[in-house]
Amino acid sequence: METISSFLTHDHRACDEEFANLENAVAEDNWELAQEKLDKFGSDLLHHFDMEEKVMFIAFEDRTGMTQGPTAMMRMEHEQMKQILEQLKVDLEKKDKDHFFGVSESLMMLMQQHNMKEEQMLYAMADAHLGAEVEAVIENMKAL
Amino acid sequence: MFNQGLSLDQAPPVSVPFRFFLTAPVFGILLGIVFFISPFETISNQYSSLAIGAVHLFTLGILSMIMFGAMQQMMPVLAGAVIQKPNLFANIVHTSLTLGTMGFCTYFLLDVKMALHIGVLFLAISFLTFFIYSIKILFQVKFLTSTVKAMKFFALSGLITLLIGLYIASSHMSSNIGTNHYAFVNAHMLFGLFGFAVLLIMGVSFQVIPMFYVARDFPKIFQEKAPLVIFILLFILSVFFFFNFDMFFFKTLLTVVLVAFAVLGIKSLNNRKRPVFDVTLWYWKFSLSMFLISLFIWLSNALESSYILAVVFAFGFLYSLLQGMVYKIIPFLSWFHLTSKGYFNVPTLREFINEKHIKYHFFFHVASVFSFVLAFWINSFIYVAALLFIASNILFLINCISAIKKYSNIAKTDPMDMSAFK
Repeated sequence: METISSFLTHDHRACDEEFANLENAVAEDNWELAQEKLDKFGSDLLHHFDMEEKVMFIAFEDRTGMTQGPTAMMRMEHEQMKQILEQLKVDLEKKDKDHFFGVSESLMMLMQQHNMKEEQMLYAMADAHLGAEVEAVIENMKAL
Repeated sequence: MFNQGLSLDQAPPVSVPFRFFLTAPVFGILLGIVFFISPFETISNQYSSLAIGAVHLFTLGILSMIMFGAMQQMMPVLAGAVIQKPNLFANIVHTSLTLGTMGFCTYFLLDVKMALHIGVLFLAISFLTFFIYSIKILFQVKFLTSTVKAMKFFALSGLITLLIGLYIASSHMSSNIGTNHYAFVNAHMLFGLFGFAVLLIMGVSFQVIPMFYVARDFPKIFQEKAPLVIFILLFILSVFFFFNFDMFFFKTLLTVVLVAFAVLGIKSLNNRKRPVFDVTLWYWKFSLSMFLISLFIWLSNALESSYILAVVFAFGFLYSLLQGMVYKIIPFLSWFHLTSKGYFNVPTLREFINEKHIKYHFFFHVASVFSFVLAFWINSFIYVAALLFIASNILFLINCISAIKKYSNIAKTDPMDMSAFK
């Protein structure tokens, strides 16, 4: 059976893949392709945030009453990542490869530690608390 | 527990890990000087006082120093185990480890008996504070990842290493070396090197290799079982030392697990998803390759003297990996603390330390390791090795200082004041 944990973890991996594609394109100085990959990665990343913030987090908060707990922390980190995403766009426009990789590395580190917290704790907590609602929550996320 | 970790209010101040990282290369320079001025026959003989002093300059002044510093950062981040008074804790552990290492090594290198008492006292304070507190908070962690489990075994092994070490030191103090002395020494080395050092490296690798390099995870079953298996094997082997049993079978078993770790690690790094060049990969790969070579030497007893084994294991495997890790941790923490405080124009991770300078350091480091090995056959090479090692540690120190200076120059400014960056 699909769980929140397996569904969203899979989406993390897909985002990682797109991120690696983006970095590869920049590494090869293929700026046109890089722009395409950045658009793809950016929209995938924001879509992932939306699935969490607009569906799963809300269901979790409703059920547990924890609005200032883990979900608030994750929202803050999403904001931080969005800011870095903007910096990547600027570097791509300027074709500033060195700076791009410095920034992309920062984003990568943030993403990985963020994912780890979600995958190892929050998703497991959500699956446990939401119980029978899990299926509906996943459907609603897919519908976004 | 969830809000802990990489949130600024829970992560320790940067000065906590940084002071440990900056002290290690200073002991490295001292160790290079000891190699330079000591006769090769004496320092390459593991039973000489000089060699015992040199070994502990490394295991206490460098290995424990960097691992303690890194652990204070990693326990909250990777394990969710938070140190309540990070500054006080770091002050006690760092000061006593530094003084303890100096006292302890002064006794073995210069034969000042008083120094041994002072050294042992401070080392006991440092290690007991660190391990008892770490064990307490690690055993409270509810969500058990493979890293937390490995960290627990690391902490237990460290405590065992310390207790056996204290016993050995007390027999030195009373000049009463018993018949079982070398069984205790062997057990001390076994738990220190394979338990304390390798288990921590393993636990951290399980999370750090996938995280830093976007590489494949270690197989789940390996992550779950390997630290436990190693810990049990260390006990069995220690008992064997006391009864003089033939331990080839268990030694082989331990080697198989460790070789699997090194091979899986190298494979994971080679197949990483993020193909961007990163100089710290050189450190990791060199380190794991040296680990494989040292395991081969250890298992096969290929060489009568343990000098080469010690050099390849300590400098080739352990120190390379620790340096690679420090080069990742310092820029990340600098960047993380500055951006979290709201500074705008923060250097990127790659701008804190010039990559070229890390490469220079790497070449000196590798050259020193090979020269140390060569010195076994051509003794005069020890001078070259010692000088290269000193140079390598100076470069390491300079690289770390340059990053920390960049951090503190920005941290001194007002986050909203952009003029500092013009």
